[in-house]
Amino acid sequence: MEDKDKPKDYIKNIRFEETTPSQADLDRLRKRIWNDIGEPEKRAIWWKQSNFLVAAAISMLIISIGIGWWSSRSEQYQTAYGEIRKLTLEDGSQVTLNANSVMRIGDRLAENAVREVWLEGEAYFDIAKRKGAKFIVHTSKADVEVLGTEFNVTTRRQNTKVMLNEGKVKLHAPHVPAIMMKPGDLATVGDQKQPIKVRVVRPELYDSWKESMYILDDKPVGELAEMLQDNYGIRVSFADTSFLNKRLKGKLSLSSPSDFVTNLATILDLEVEKKEDTYLFK
Amino acid sequence: MIRDKLTSYEHKALWDKFRFGNQDAYSRIYELFAADLYRYGYNLVRNKQLVEDGLHELFLHIYNNRERLGPTDNIRFYMYRALRRRLLDSLTRLNKLDSSDYVFDNAEFLIQSYETELVEQQTLDYQKKVVIAELNQLPKRQKEILYLVFMKDLTYQQAAEVMGITMKSVYNSVHVALSALRISVNERLNREGIFINISVAMLLGYLTSMH
Repeated sequence: MEDKDKPKDYIKNIRFEETTPSQADLDRLRKRIWNDIGEPEKRAIWWKQSNFLVAAAISMLIISIGIGWWSSRSEQYQTAYGEIRKLTLEDGSQVTLNANSVMRIGDRLAENAVREVWLEGEAYFDIAKRKGAKFIVHTSKADVEVLGTEFNVTTRRQNTKVMLNEGKVKLHAPHVPAIMMKPGDLATVGDQKQPIKVRVVRPELYDSWKESMYILDDKPVGELAEMLQDNYGIRVSFADTSFLNKRLKGKLSLSSPSDFVTNLATILDLEVEKKEDTYLFK
Repeated sequence: MIRDKLTSYEHKALWDKFRFGNQDAYSRIYELFAADLYRYGYNLVRNKQLVEDGLHELFLHIYNNRERLGPTDNIRFYMYRALRRRLLDSLTRLNKLDSSDYVFDNAEFLIQSYETELVEQQTLDYQKKVVIAELNQLPKRQKEILYLVFMKDLTYQQAAEVMGITMKSVYNSVHVALSALRISVNERLNREGIFINISVAMLLGYLTSMH
């Protein structure tokens, strides 16, 4: 019978009247979503306007010229080898300055629309939110721009590393577009060939130094050796350099650097010998 | 009507790729489902801003929680359910602040002929128009079920889950709806002295016996 399939056809022939979003609607929504990716779920949209960014960049330039002039009177904090110092800035932000680091503080953090600090070394930032006022950490390689968030900045040797713990930051490096970081991201700003590398890490691997702990997981011993030299002025060398690539697990207390070295030797099952300022593992 | 052509295996694979962190998969999910979710959301609340906010939150939510999401072989179903809940929540929130406007009752699932332009040319026969008119008289909840099942290829079980009601009430609801539809269409046509034609009769039979 020719009508056999009619009902089904007919069902397909009726449809519900629907309002279809325009491509512009979908693109706008997409942009909004992608812009906020990684953001804790809330409605705030921070840097929505690109011309706002341009304006901000220009005003920053002016401000930094101004600050250069004022810098003679700005505050500066410095830590010695092995010294970790907790600071509360004028605007309520908490900074933990790691050993062997220098941080210069910009002017009037509590009032200025742009709060700025200059860092050499390593610090962990817990930025107090102030409506409309951003916070910029300048390093030799990159600028980290934030509103309110927690993150770690290391600027040692040739690299600047930023590890974002919470919130959202924007990373500006020369010659490349700024990137938006999300929690757990570790961004390394290096040489011209590979200006910014981002990978996802466990935040505690990069901020446990605040509690004077060092988490060994997934980091080569070589990195640990650099850390000892950067933060404690302790040189370590290995008779068998293949140890530098070895990866360990677990954590060690940093509260006494010499215990740290002894414990490390135990883990590696090596003897350690001190010669002047160098510990030789063999 | 736009349907994605993914098989349930492809749904599952795409979703899994996304859950394990693949950015392209996330992008693809947006491309495949955003417009469709938008349409569904708009049928529910008739407020563009609310729908966009809901989608914005939903897409961010699945992104931020991708590692904790369960598997699915029907992404549309999964997303419909999540969007509906989200819109319901934001309406509840809005209703607390502002007692007037936002009621879920605005849900509007209006049925029209598939070939709208042709309808104007009267190629759609009168009996079909009657059926459509009667379908539009159904309570909104019943229309939503028909919408999800016929238009969006969900099963009755999935439609029930999307709407947060039991299977039994979906069955009842649809059965009651379609039986009533059958009677009212018959009556109307009889009253007007038209013999019901075979395709409409079969349609009604088909609808009422579907589940």
